[in-house]
Amino acid sequence: MNNGAKIKPGSTMERVNANLAKRYAKERRFRRMGLAAIVISLMFLGLLFGSIISKGYGAFWQTYIQLEIHFEPEDMDLHGNRSLEVLSAVDYGGLVKRTLREMFPKVKKRKEKRKLYGVVSNGAAFQLREMVMNHPDLIGRTVQVWVPADDDVDMLIKGHIDRHKPESERRVKDQQIAWVDELQRVGKIEKRFNTTFFTAGDSREPELAGIHGALMGSIFTLLITLGLSFPMGVAAAIYLEEFAPTNRFTDFIEININNLAAVPSIVFGLLGLAVFINFFGLPRSIPLVGGLVLTLMTLPTIIIASRAALKSVPPSIREAALGIGASRMQTVFHHVLPQALPGMLTGAIIGMAQALGETAPLLMIGMVAFIVDIPANMMDPATALPVQIYLWADSPERAFMERTSAAIMVLLAFLISMNMLAVLLRKKFEKRW
Amino acid sequence: MNEMTEGHTVKRYDDEMIFLHRLVLEIGDLAQDQLRQAIQTLNDKNPSAARDVISRDQELNDLDIQADEEFINLIVKRQPMAKDLREIITISKAVSDLERVGDEVRKIAQLTIHIYDTDSRPPNRQVLRDINTMAAFVGNMLKISLIAFDELDALKALDVIRLDSELEEEYKSALRRLTTFVMEDSRAIGHMVDAVLGLRALERIGGHAKNIAGYVIFLITGSDVRHESLESIEKQII
Amino acid sequence: MQFNTQVVSPVTPLMVCTDIELIAAHDNRKTVGKISVTNPRMRCRNVNVFYGDKQAINRVNLDIGRHEVIAMIGPSGCGKSTFLRCLNRMNDTIDSCRVTGEILLDDQDIYDKKLDVVPLRAQVGMVFQKPNPFPKSIYENVAYGPRIHGLVSSKSDLDVVVESSLCRAGLWDEVKDRLDQPGTGLSGGQQQRLCIARTIAVGPEVILMDEPCSALDPIATAKIEGLIDELREEYTIAIVTHSMQQAARVSQRTAYFHLGDLIEVGETNQIFTNPQHKLTEDYITGRFG
Repeated sequence: MNNGAKIKPGSTMERVNANLAKRYAKERRFRRMGLAAIVISLMFLGLLFGSIISKGYGAFWQTYIQLEIHFEPEDMDLHGNRSLEVLSAVDYGGLVKRTLREMFPKVKKRKEKRKLYGVVSNGAAFQLREMVMNHPDLIGRTVQVWVPADDDVDMLIKGHIDRHKPESERRVKDQQIAWVDELQRVGKIEKRFNTTFFTAGDSREPELAGIHGALMGSIFTLLITLGLSFPMGVAAAIYLEEFAPTNRFTDFIEININNLAAVPSIVFGLLGLAVFINFFGLPRSIPLVGGLVLTLMTLPTIIIASRAALKSVPPSIREAALGIGASRMQTVFHHVLPQALPGMLTGAIIGMAQALGETAPLLMIGMVAFIVDIPANMMDPATALPVQIYLWADSPERAFMERTSAAIMVLLAFLISMNMLAVLLRKKFEKRW
Repeated sequence: MNEMTEGHTVKRYDDEMIFLHRLVLEIGDLAQDQLRQAIQTLNDKNPSAARDVISRDQELNDLDIQADEEFINLIVKRQPMAKDLREIITISKAVSDLERVGDEVRKIAQLTIHIYDTDSRPPNRQVLRDINTMAAFVGNMLKISLIAFDELDALKALDVIRLDSELEEEYKSALRRLTTFVMEDSRAIGHMVDAVLGLRALERIGGHAKNIAGYVIFLITGSDVRHESLESIEKQII
Repeated sequence: MQFNTQVVSPVTPLMVCTDIELIAAHDNRKTVGKISVTNPRMRCRNVNVFYGDKQAINRVNLDIGRHEVIAMIGPSGCGKSTFLRCLNRMNDTIDSCRVTGEILLDDQDIYDKKLDVVPLRAQVGMVFQKPNPFPKSIYENVAYGPRIHGLVSSKSDLDVVVESSLCRAGLWDEVKDRLDQPGTGLSGGQQQRLCIARTIAVGPEVILMDEPCSALDPIATAKIEGLIDELREEYTIAIVTHSMQQAARVSQRTAYFHLGDLIEVGETNQIFTNPQHKLTEDYITGRFG
């Protein structure tokens, strides 16, 4: 014992005590560092959420202007014919303009008139058309209609435009400010909950742009991804883990799966472009192709997670089943799989979350297009939430900045609800005895 | 010691076995010494020395009790198996045989007291001559049986068993001689009875030595040979 | 001294075995003792087991008789568990494992290519070292075997099988009121008896036990040992154990394995009082360094 080693003087207790304070200090330091790391990451998370929510909150509210529209048949050039075709061809824009002119009779100059018309969104005309198409009996009556204000007016009302800047540096001119103030004074301008944001597709006009199209695109894409990658991934994992012999070939497969998990996602996009669109001739921009590409991307993640889940099932369960004469298949499906399923679900959710946030491969297969219509099925052209965020973030309008943050909030909400579902499912399956 | 007692993974086990083994040899030595002393008192006509021998028997009894405690402890702690089990059983039995040897020795010492501590006329030397020769013979048997035990020598043990049948013959002829002697001189009848008791005690000691030899053979071969003929024992060993 | 070394020397065992095939098969690795029995249920001849290139079992010959408990003892890594697992082909699950030789169950070679391993395992059940009930209810644990083998046609028949199996495993009185509770909620000893009940529910002929008491406390161990003694009347039992006392208590015959060789086999009493081979002797007296 301790041959040749230098031993400090004193009894064991003395020597131990001498170092004790140092050891505890080390431990405290380590604990503090860990705590600091958590606090910093929480701070950044708070910062992220704070900035997104503070920026995006406004997008859920939209400024509306009340117009008193006279649906006069003469003004609408109807001349008695009230078929839907005729109704749809009416110049509703003119109707809006006339109403505005009536509200501000002092405006005479062409230039000023244009400024006046710019106070109200282009969408007002579409809104009126829809109203008349749905209720043709409105014709001949005078109706108070709330129509969306232009995005610049919206920004002005929300206080994002500085009134004290010189007029030339503002998007909203002095005259427009005066009109808006006048409208506000008579109570004809109001902020309302922005349902358009949740029901509309994309638009060039921020006040008309909505997230619905992208959300549907994401849902369709994810449904395809989940529907394909989960069964395939689990099946592959079960085969590799429980049935395949260990030899060079399976080793090779394993290495490749691990490598695939690390391949940049844009490569999968290129692959999808080459295989699904160019070779199989599927249309561009559709959720089906997006789902297929994301399936390729998430498959390795799910396989790896599922294999880990299978590996963590204690071998004693397998032995028990085999020992009383269960076949391999029965062993796997009666005993091993139920135990591994929660872990597999976790893997699937990680894969899905990854797929939900993925942009690059979707860019490659054309899901980045400007699509106004809301996709009704997985063969309709669509875009996805992250791509929509990317598109809006690129737009110059101040109002799109707000909507970008709002879209991120929607994306996060979607992600959280998906994770919650996974946790619930796992709780349900995870019947640990 | 020997391979019966050594080589356990647990070193303490070895020590305990060796201790018991030595205890047996110690008891054996004491018993042999007692036998020599008792015969010496007879030859020296010294009843007070005989009393010393009798009181020393207590030492033997104490060692017997100590040995009992030791091997009970060992059984509890080690649960001996195979040759350890046989060794323990052999030791236990050998110790009680040796303790009985001590009892027999006491009888011989008592004989000295009985003969020389009274006013009666001392016996003819002839009467006690057979006791001397038989004591030497029996002492040798005891010695060989203990060596057989110590060295795990089945052949030596077999020798003891052979010697026992010789002892039987010796005993019978000694009895015959005494009978003729009494027939010649009937006054010696009292001493003759004493002598017969002494011979009987020595014959029993020889029997105990044979028992020990039998245990040694059991210890080595694992078969109990105490009630078998010499031939069948020989066949088993050789 | 010299005499003594002769007796226990491995080169010249005292009892020379009489089986002719053994002498033919073995040269310097003669198994000491009688490997055959008059009423064998399983006969193993020249069994070799390889893990890859490594030989784990070397030409083992052994019979397992009807209604007997045979104990297999030996130091760790001696191949006793491997050998036990050959008897119901549990080794099949290990890719690198290869078994040669002949293992007959009632004159049927269990390593026959045509033989299906599923019914074999129904015939030769196994109880493992660690109690491993399924994470299901007590009832489901016992009912699983009869159900997958289609041994019963109705729910009431299944109830009968479950009850009788639990009774024979000595567990019925303890669990009859909570059959729907998880099997993993029982104590270690109860779990192991549940595993035994699960095994006998299939109605095997032979039960293999791989150190069934190593994870249990002495009282649970005593219960299992009592159970083994009772089960002997109906089944043939092969048990691997690290406890020599246990082997001595429950078995009629004992086989000693050493580094893949079957060194000695014989009546349990004889093995534990007077083993013939030096290695056996050294092992059971605790003389391995």
